[in-house]
Amino acid sequence: MAPASQAERAVAAPKSNTDVVLLDLVEFVAEQDKPSAREGIVETVRQVRESGTDVFALVDSELLYADLHACVCPELTGVVISHLESVAQVEEADSLIGQLENERGIPPGALEMILCLDTAQANQDAFEIASATRRITGLTLGRAELVMDLRPEPSGEIHLMQYLMQKLITVAGAIGVPAYGAWWRAPDRGLVATPDNTEDAALRGRAIGFKGSFCVLEDQVAPINQGFTPSAQEVAEAGKLLESYRAAVSEGSASIRQGDRIIDSGTALQAQALIDRAEACEAHDKAKIDALAGRPVPAP
Amino acid sequence: MADHVAVHRSGLTMPVVTPRFIDNAWRRGCDFVNMDLEDSVPQHMKGYARTLIKDAIANVTKGGAEAFTRINHDLVLADLEGIIWPGLAKVNYPKAEYAEEIELLDSIISRLERERGIRPGAVEIGANIETSVGVANAYDIAAASPRVREFGGAGGYDMSRDLGVEMFVGFDQFVYGKGEVELAARALGLEPHTAPFTANTTGSVGDPDRAFLEAEAARKCGFRVGGGLHPNVVEPQTRGFTPTQEEVDEAHQVLDEYRKLEVSGETWSETDGKIVDRYEAARARKLLDWSELCSARDQEKAEAVARVEAAGA
Repeated sequence: MAPASQAERAVAAPKSNTDVVLLDLVEFVAEQDKPSAREGIVETVRQVRESGTDVFALVDSELLYADLHACVCPELTGVVISHLESVAQVEEADSLIGQLENERGIPPGALEMILCLDTAQANQDAFEIASATRRITGLTLGRAELVMDLRPEPSGEIHLMQYLMQKLITVAGAIGVPAYGAWWRAPDRGLVATPDNTEDAALRGRAIGFKGSFCVLEDQVAPINQGFTPSAQEVAEAGKLLESYRAAVSEGSASIRQGDRIIDSGTALQAQALIDRAEACEAHDKAKIDALAGRPVPAP
Repeated sequence: MADHVAVHRSGLTMPVVTPRFIDNAWRRGCDFVNMDLEDSVPQHMKGYARTLIKDAIANVTKGGAEAFTRINHDLVLADLEGIIWPGLAKVNYPKAEYAEEIELLDSIISRLERERGIRPGAVEIGANIETSVGVANAYDIAAASPRVREFGGAGGYDMSRDLGVEMFVGFDQFVYGKGEVELAARALGLEPHTAPFTANTTGSVGDPDRAFLEAEAARKCGFRVGGGLHPNVVEPQTRGFTPTQEEVDEAHQVLDEYRKLEVSGETWSETDGKIVDRYEAARARKLLDWSELCSARDQEKAEAVARVEAAGA
């Protein structure tokens, strides 16, 4: 996440090895700087895109018209819409984006939409809001703990977040898109945390079903990538598990014991998913290196 | 009821049929007294109990506390006819399960307010969620009447019985239900009446240290509503839900720092590991408002008690 008002920071962001650069027009741009941030954002999108990184813009549901008019261009991957309160806002954003795609030579439906459910009302109506358009490609709670003023409990957990995370991940699963976020704990705050705490948050986040996370500091990118990428050991174990399962199936069994565990089709599918995920991460990391080095990268 | 923020840090629930509880309630220093017609009143005394409320209101409020009454889920009309008198601030309705129940309460209360010269909307409804059906309908229940201003539940004895779970365990057995209820309250802009989980495996209701720690943890998570069954927990709850001088000073510092930020064009700053931004500024403003409300409430109560003592002397 880089403030759209600080173009040089945004353009340097891909060097942190981030998968996505999120140009922020909402959280870290002072109110009086928003007009100039909007003016410069398309140029910044283009420059970031030259490094091959996907670029999203974080827009404000209250300032949709100005923010979307400012950022929609063919180089933009999509938008993240924050401070949502209603289905009507999503529908308005969807139709406005559709119109801008049409006017600006972008194939219809190309621009992705990630919804940031950071208000109480948005979480209350999460399923209806997330089902409002097929353009939605992801859900996140964003900085809900700040927007909703949720604070640490004596245990270190942020109040209400476990409930909100599980609800978000369930809704994301129901509409078939990834949920983005990490399981932050005190003293982590508003996506700010030390690299070590960030890696722990990412590992816990992956364990409960998040697929990746936004962050605000450059030194958080590596721990997030680390936490969300299956480790070599996990991949090796998944490979062994699949081997035993295939051997069992070829001998006419549906399951086999491996140590204390029972391996069946469910476990095997999960192991395969982990291997697929690891391969996708590896391929993406290679593509990022090629792109940064200026080598041509095949379309995914 | 536009900007009225209630101060309900501490309160005692007591059977209205026990004179020594009712007669001493004004000395307890609590923000509200909840006169019970429900679980603490034996079946054969239900009819008698509701006739006591009219006179008890003046008795329990003379030390500055607000008067509430908890009615019976299945005796709504008779209970409301008996208790809606000038000075009653809130009707607690146990085991709320459907929005229609709250609409019915609202319409009966509205009629009684009119007939008995009470300002429309003066009587609040506490729609308490204590069953699975209540959790499933939480949002609709909370939205059913503007009289519902504080909203919470999905924990406690009745909920544990309804779900068939243990009451006193070392983990939070009500995560989902409490989450649903709190989210509904927040979405509707109501005051969430809940608290972060703290393990209680003893079943103690009168431990003052425990009451303070729970109230303090709740305050730090942004909650403001308390209540209990034992006089020992009143003072610790009142103290636990009131911002400390240190927090008030800190809030002023946050606002000073934020004013500097606004001029600088930056959106956040960090000093000694503490971040200041518009979210912290909003929280600081809220804390200062709450602190003032608490002081005003404490003064009101102190003056009321002094008046009673002067009259008695």
